Amino acid sequence: MAHNFKNDVVIDWCPGCGDFGILTSITQALTEMNLGGEDVVAVSGIGCSGKTPHYLNIAGVHTLHGRAIPFATGVKLANPNLKVILPSGDGDLLSIGAGHFVAEGRRNTGLTIILFDNAVYGLTKGQAAPTMQLGEKTKSLARENIFGKVNPIALALSSGYSFVARGFSFDMKQLKGLIKMALNHKGSAVIDVLQPCPTYNDVNTMDWYRERVYRLEDEPSWDPVVTKDNADSAAMKFQQAYQKALEWGEKIPTGLFYQNKTIPSFTERLSQFVPNYLTNPPASQVVFNKDHYTVVDPEKTFSDKIIA
Amino acid sequence: MDLSLTIGGPQGGGIDTSSNMINRAFAEAGYNVFAVREYHSNIKGRHSYNHIRVKEERPRSLRYPVDILVALDADTLYEHMDDVVAGSKVIYDKSFESGDLSQARLIMRDTAKRIKERLQGENLPLNVNGVIQHMKNNGVITIAVPFDAVVNSAISGGTPTRYFNTLGSAITLSIAGLPVNFTSEAIKQVFASKPKVVEDNVKVVEAAYKYCEENKLSGVPLKSFPKKQRLLLTGNDAAAIGKVMGGLRFQTYYPITPASDESTVLEEHETLSLIENEKSSLEKAGVVVIQTEDEISAITMAMGAALTGTRSATATSGPGFSLMAEGISFAGMDEVPIVITLYQRGGPSTGLPTRNGQSDLLFALNTGHGEFPRIVLSSGDIEECAYDAMKALNYAQRYQLPVIHLIDKNLATTSDLIPEIDKSRVKLIPAVSVSDKEEFLRYNLNTETGISKVGYFGKNIFWMTGDEHDELGHVTEDPEVRDRQMQKRFQKLETAAHEIPLEDRVQVFGEKEADITFVTWGSQKGPILDVIDDLKKEGIKANMLYLKMFEPFPSEFVKSFLSRSKLVVDVESNILAQASRVIRLETGIEIENAILKYSGRHMTEDEILSAAKKIINKKEKFIVEVLTNGA
Repeated sequence: MAHNFKNDVVIDWCPGCGDFGILTSITQALTEMNLGGEDVVAVSGIGCSGKTPHYLNIAGVHTLHGRAIPFATGVKLANPNLKVILPSGDGDLLSIGAGHFVAEGRRNTGLTIILFDNAVYGLTKGQAAPTMQLGEKTKSLARENIFGKVNPIALALSSGYSFVARGFSFDMKQLKGLIKMALNHKGSAVIDVLQPCPTYNDVNTMDWYRERVYRLEDEPSWDPVVTKDNADSAAMKFQQAYQKALEWGEKIPTGLFYQNKTIPSFTERLSQFVPNYLTNPPASQVVFNKDHYTVVDPEKTFSDKIIA
Repeated sequence: MDLSLTIGGPQGGGIDTSSNMINRAFAEAGYNVFAVREYHSNIKGRHSYNHIRVKEERPRSLRYPVDILVALDADTLYEHMDDVVAGSKVIYDKSFESGDLSQARLIMRDTAKRIKERLQGENLPLNVNGVIQHMKNNGVITIAVPFDAVVNSAISGGTPTRYFNTLGSAITLSIAGLPVNFTSEAIKQVFASKPKVVEDNVKVVEAAYKYCEENKLSGVPLKSFPKKQRLLLTGNDAAAIGKVMGGLRFQTYYPITPASDESTVLEEHETLSLIENEKSSLEKAGVVVIQTEDEISAITMAMGAALTGTRSATATSGPGFSLMAEGISFAGMDEVPIVITLYQRGGPSTGLPTRNGQSDLLFALNTGHGEFPRIVLSSGDIEECAYDAMKALNYAQRYQLPVIHLIDKNLATTSDLIPEIDKSRVKLIPAVSVSDKEEFLRYNLNTETGISKVGYFGKNIFWMTGDEHDELGHVTEDPEVRDRQMQKRFQKLETAAHEIPLEDRVQVFGEKEADITFVTWGSQKGPILDVIDDLKKEGIKANMLYLKMFEPFPSEFVKSFLSRSKLVVDVESNILAQASRVIRLETGIEIENAILKYSGRHMTEDEILSAAKKIINKKEKFIVEVLTNGA
């Protein structure tokens, strides 16, 4: 029987929150992929988005503010067979955790990062998040935002993510598809999900987004995927993705911006050096014998330290 | 034999290689060595030196004065002018004699000023000749060797300075009386994979011995002993070995002195050889070592790995440990089995990055916001670093909490010859876990020990949150559950205090009834053991209360032991006498005397001995002796 990915924990997000669409898209994607409950782990940071793991019937850890990425990286590297999703906020990933966001692009571990992008810190009463436009004045701000905006798509591309996409929390069909693609991608994926915060962001509302978003895949010529057969197109596709990343205002593109299947994942890179890493990863290793003594031979392992 | 050697030169000038040659040469001849490395936070040029003690039995400490001082640069002569006394030998390159103190611009300004005042006070010129004269006036035997000429007699072409470290080591060993074959063998080991380098360096060794022979510098030939297999290890090495033996398969780190050498050692040995009869189909396993983007990532990534059932750890020093505070609090709250090996160096802030310190004890006991249980243990010699690393991983598994393993810089970079690594000394204790796919409550309150069964990501479904949580791991603010979860977490500490053998928490060395009792932890263990022997020779009975575990603290034992002691002296490398404070907090006993050192240098046998005698002889209370040995 297919695993039920929905949990029975009471959801305490505000009515009309974009988080609901994301949660539904995640459970649908996991269901359609016919995954087992033990195959996937959710790792989140802090804030409204951080509660998502509790609402999913899979193993989940609601970590520290900004630290979902390193936590999730540890999970994935110790057990590379797991699929790891990170439902985390814009402040979490792009402000307090921005260093990890960039570092993960360099690693390409194989994480599915779902960036809850509503431009505000909801749980602390609506302060400006790093994705808010310069000069924007939402009702929760005492004065207009005097910070510039970080561009999540451009930052993800520059950091080296091999899968970069954008969804919209009210287009669950597209978002579910993007999540499935990301989970099947061997490297790390970023999905920037535009969503309203109905309580604190009265500028970027559901209607505001609805009027602007369009799907990249609706353009017949749009082909953002780099494979080993068209590897020479990587630079062109990267540039084209970057150009699309800069599009904002009257029209906002959603969909897959860039996917490069030729970049080895971090687990593949590690497996070149760590013996039997993929078949006998850290999480599977037996470390002591039946008498509870170590299975490691210290003298053979550290033979260079021996004076004989 | 009890030989004290110092070899000094510019950082990056091969001083460590020199020391390695000397260590290995003596080891080849069956002796034991204890070699301490002192260096600046600098890549090239500033003064670094290795202080080595050689004995037939195992040396446990350093002592001054130095018997042989080898200077590979003029700075070494300035820096160590008072480390040598009548009868000591000083070897240096003849060309240094033209050096003026004002040219030694990499000597720290205040050090230079002090040297200047010292020379001026004796009406000596402010140059190397002045220093040499100062030494000669003190009865030191100074030996100027034409380094270039000796190297050139062995090697034609090339850069002679490249061989100065080998030359210095070889002359030292020749003067010490070690037969040349041991020295050549050491060269072969040091440059193992490079035959041409071995060949050239052996030639330099032979030329050095010949020079000493011709100039009547060679020492009386030392006897040699049957060689046994031993391991030449630093504390960094030992901790790395202990960790993989203790089941570590995931280590994270961010580069920092003096911790990252441990991770480098692990990376170099990421292929683990498995014991023959234990392997199923595998001969090799791997330990994953990840250099993270910062220490916040290091602690949290290691925790992520731990949640899959992997024994995980990180290693850091003061500044990095500060960054880990929030993560350690999470580990306490969420009961994550994680080991943090904390290599203490001189603080606060960047402090003395390459020097010793024991100033993080109170911080380790209090790191992280909120109240949560943790285990804090400390190692005091190189072997302990290995076995304690194994035990630390065990404690993390058994009690499901953060374990902080304190090692000080003195141990991290000191080389010691270890007879063996005993694979059966420490049994690996597994976590109490549920079976695959079993439904369970991760934070089950129905437990007498406070330990709830664990499941693993990939095998079980369960939840965790840094928020206070219910038994399932979901967020709760229910006051009753909050109380019960707090009590459950702290119950684990009671369980640990009950289960962990006393000798793993506190030990006593020396006389049963003593005139003076030393209280210490960490790297002072060795020198104090030596001091106890020294005092015995003088008819003074001494013992040592040696602390190994600060949480859970062995309060009852410490209280009863100290209340029976006559004269108690706390010995630590910090200014606050931090262990004294812990003892006072845990037992109510105030230790009135202290021998402290916070210059960042090793405590040496001689200085502890003389401070102890001062305390014994003075009749008043509240004596604090501050030690200052070491350049």
